[in-house]
Amino acid sequence: MQAVNLLPRDIEVPPMLRGNQGASVRLSGVSRSFDANRVLAGLDLHVRPGEFLSIVGKSGCGKSTLLRLIAGLDKPTTGTVTVDGKPATQAGDRLRIMFQEPRLLPWASVADNVAIGLRNGPDPDAVAEALELVQLPDKASFWPAQLSGGQRQRVALARALVSHPGLLVLDEPLGALDALTRLTMQNLIRDMHAKAGFTAILVTHDVAEAVALSDRVIVLGQGGILSQTEILRVGPVTRGSAELAAIEGEILDAIFAA
Amino acid sequence: MSVIETLSPARSRSPGWRPSLPGRHALLPYAVPAAILMLWEIAGATGLVADTVMPRPSTIFATAVRMTLSGELFTHLGVSAARALAGLVIGGGIGFALGVANGVSRISETLTDTTLQMIRNIPHLALIPLVILWFGIGEGAKLFLVALGVFFPIYLNTLHGIRNVDSQLIEMGRAYGMTSRELFRRVVLPGALPSIFVGLRYGLGIMWLTLIVAETLSASSGLGYMAMQAREFMILDVVVLSILLYAALGKLADTLTRALDRRALKWSPAYAGR
Ligand SMILES: Nc1ncnc2c1ncn2[C@@H]1O[C@H](COP(=O)(O)OP(=O)(O)OP(=O)(O)O)[C@@H](O)[C@H]1O
Ligand SMILES: [Mg+2]
Repeated sequence: MQAVNLLPRDIEVPPMLRGNQGASVRLSGVSRSFDANRVLAGLDLHVRPGEFLSIVGKSGCGKSTLLRLIAGLDKPTTGTVTVDGKPATQAGDRLRIMFQEPRLLPWASVADNVAIGLRNGPDPDAVAEALELVQLPDKASFWPAQLSGGQRQRVALARALVSHPGLLVLDEPLGALDALTRLTMQNLIRDMHAKAGFTAILVTHDVAEAVALSDRVIVLGQGGILSQTEILRVGPVTRGSAELAAIEGEILDAIFAA
Repeated sequence: MSVIETLSPARSRSPGWRPSLPGRHALLPYAVPAAILMLWEIAGATGLVADTVMPRPSTIFATAVRMTLSGELFTHLGVSAARALAGLVIGGGIGFALGVANGVSRISETLTDTTLQMIRNIPHLALIPLVILWFGIGEGAKLFLVALGVFFPIYLNTLHGIRNVDSQLIEMGRAYGMTSRELFRRVVLPGALPSIFVGLRYGLGIMWLTLIVAETLSASSGLGYMAMQAREFMILDVVVLSILLYAALGKLADTLTRALDRRALKWSPAYAGR
């Protein structure tokens, strides 16, 4: 593991401080095979409460497979996945997932779609608050078909956050958006993470995005973790800075070295 | 007769590439029928077409008024409508239930779908001789035929609709902790609804068709009986009137389902702003 410090090591790091309600995630010896195709092999990973972790790697290297295991949508062939010490499948609304597509119910209003994230029945105040958070307070009664792609993805984010989860798992949530909307959404997710303090695990094919958002970036390949990069910082991200560009370059090298 | 295939839901009404008509045009679709009626009346009045071949619209209208006042028309109409509705409820109900069962349960599908697909290839009207032998010429025979005719389009389209519900939405529902029951009510059924409506519209068409044939062959009341009775006594205006009534009933049923469709699918972009 290599660590790239943007700050002197002895300065206290904010991610650790704000992690009081984030979930901790632990994978031990996780393998997943599809018939003869061994996608993940003996993978170990610990994600600290409140950490923002990004997973990058070549297409088909098993990023989505890994994320589905963490989200409890799939079970490992061997090994264990735990969220706060319990099996991921029992995490309930402590764990929320955001997909590449918004996956809103077309026949439900925006507000009703957000309410899907609430397990204990509809709560108009919580829904309104979540919509406020993603800056769509006036769209509550719209149909999803009446929104733009970026707005739909923001509704999906509101749905994921309305239950105040401890872990947010994101599989290329911004992949289908245009570059400008993507930047806006990145800032939104980053803000949300800073405010709410959940643990975030993001799969992305955009290394710049991973570096801009994360506390740690791991490169997945050959069934395991090829390299890890800690990004320590305080204050707002300075996009396009020389340090970030250097980290980006190293991560890209690690991906292509595989 | 039983060429009922599944269709994709009615999405073709989007404005698309066709330029919209300028101004008000609510009455425009009726211009051609009105012109035809007028020409028909003139052809009859001038003796170009003999009344014994084709009675004039005005004659038919007068007959309709007379039969309405005597109550005869509504009796037959009521009987036919009751038969149609009963057949629709029974056949459609069973078709919907089996479509849901086979869409949701693999065991149920494996058990019944092949059989149903085989039966589907029998034109249901070909069963008339057999049905008459079984049920006689009573209500049972007509109910059976209508129900059987309505069954297939509704069954096939319900099954098709449920099978084609977006699997990504189902995964989302699961990930967000929906129970199977909730998943069905909130995701599967609404997702299948457009297709179910297509089945219903097809089913209604078949319902009238079957009823006409069944009532014409054997009945002692109903529109088909009224037409056959009039044919025996060569009362041509009543024959044409009953044909027109069938057309009107078919149109009415279609309009009703369209309205229902529009209400239930108001979220769909195909209906937005309409
Ligand atoms: N349900 C499945 N059945 C069989 N093989 C699968 C299944 N899901 C994934 N795989 C295989 O696992 C491998 C990794 O797939 P995965 O979707 O995790 O890749 P990925 O890293 O997310 O790729 P991308 O960046 O293109 O999304 C692929 O070789 C794929 O064929
Ligand atoms: Mg993937």
